[in-house]
Amino acid sequence: MPDPTAPARAMRLGVAGPVGTGKSSLIATICRQLAGSLSLAVVTNDIYTDEDARFLKAAGVLDPERIRPVETGACPHTAIRDDVTVNLLAAEDLEADFAPVDIVLIESGGDNLTATFSPALVDVQIFVLDVAGGGDVVRKGGPGIARADLLVINKTDLGPFVDVDVDRMIAEGRQVRGDRPVLGVSRKDPSSITALEQWVRDCLASFRSGRHVPVDPGPMAPHSHSDGTVHTHADGTVHAHGHEHAHQH
Amino acid sequence: MSGLLLAFLADVRLPVGTHTQSAGLEAALQAGMPISDLASYVRTRLGTVTEVEAATAVVARATELAGDDLARVERAWAARTPSRVLRDNALQLGRGHGRLLAALWPSDDRRPARHCRAVALGMTAARAGLSGHEVACLVGYDDVQSATSALLKLEPTDPVQVAALTRDLIPDVVAMADRVAGLTEPEQIPAHAAPHIEMWAERHAHTTERLFRA
Repeated sequence: MPDPTAPARAMRLGVAGPVGTGKSSLIATICRQLAGSLSLAVVTNDIYTDEDARFLKAAGVLDPERIRPVETGACPHTAIRDDVTVNLLAAEDLEADFAPVDIVLIESGGDNLTATFSPALVDVQIFVLDVAGGGDVVRKGGPGIARADLLVINKTDLGPFVDVDVDRMIAEGRQVRGDRPVLGVSRKDPSSITALEQWVRDCLASFRSGRHVPVDPGPMAPHSHSDGTVHTHADGTVHAHGHEHAHQH
Repeated sequence: MSGLLLAFLADVRLPVGTHTQSAGLEAALQAGMPISDLASYVRTRLGTVTEVEAATAVVARATELAGDDLARVERAWAARTPSRVLRDNALQLGRGHGRLLAALWPSDDRRPARHCRAVALGMTAARAGLSGHEVACLVGYDDVQSATSALLKLEPTDPVQVAALTRDLIPDVVAMADRVAGLTEPEQIPAHAAPHIEMWAERHAHTTERLFRA
């Protein structure tokens, strides 16, 4: 049961993925679709420049005051996962300054395939790949690809130009993700934009209902036990298995 | 016990956002300071800006223990920190330490929790039972570590050499702590200026290609 006396805070939506896959433009797209009906704010994690914040401000999709860069000290992975202090402070500031805020989008600096957000920082997260990065990236795997709340395969319109079979890439994403959604997105494909918008709206509805529980996509693979419990060992717990099978923690 | 507590508070993995810091080293290297000057750069900090920070933390600890007004300490620190960039950065770090303090050593006190890093550390020391000398060492050691750890990202070298350099600077940290450990009043906080460090910090804030916040 959600605590009815708890202050309603914004849903925090993280967007991670390698450099150049289109995280900023995906956030701009979400802002463009939702800013008319929801109160939004954005935190960018700029490692080396303020390029991401400037891109979003220049896109004109949101009041520039609602877009704030955080400087992460050379390591985006640290700032979104191990020590989320600077990002939490920025999100709290935006929520206080523009209350009520419905969604704070937090854009990670572009990092490697193991970079995922801590559930202490974001409620839901998107992992972004693009077809131009190569059709084999999904197969290379990683916690974000396998277990982020949404996997976006971006720039699907580029498939024919970079010799990537987009349908196959999306199918391989579905294979490793079980029931979790995979979305092919192109800014030139309006139906894909609508699907993205609907996913965000569904997340917000779930978050507000109190049903949503943030989960950690990695690094441990979630697995279940015969008693029905599912856990990830992200909290460092160790246990003995009462059944015979080989797997690694 | 307090030795381990001090190690805990000095640990770079403490979740207070210090991974954003280079103790001004990035700014100094951008301004042309040779890497070979690193030890003397850190010693200069320990005799100037870092000593002001450490003295502020020591006085904040004494003030907190006496139940007096920390705003006086905060004003004394601000008056001795001419760079607005460095003040803003210290306030941001203070918020990280404030979060930690509120979670680990909660208080019934309803005072607003926004202080500069040095004052927040002084409050932490008071509640955690650290001595004035220990909190001064903590401030000094954190400054040394911020610079030497940042070196590994800015100009990579064998980390064992960096660890050796850090160890070699420990006596300088202790000497600095000896100088400020007995202070109790805001007026006693030294007002050492370090114009180069302050100027570099101001300039650094306006460059875009940087790895560290300060």
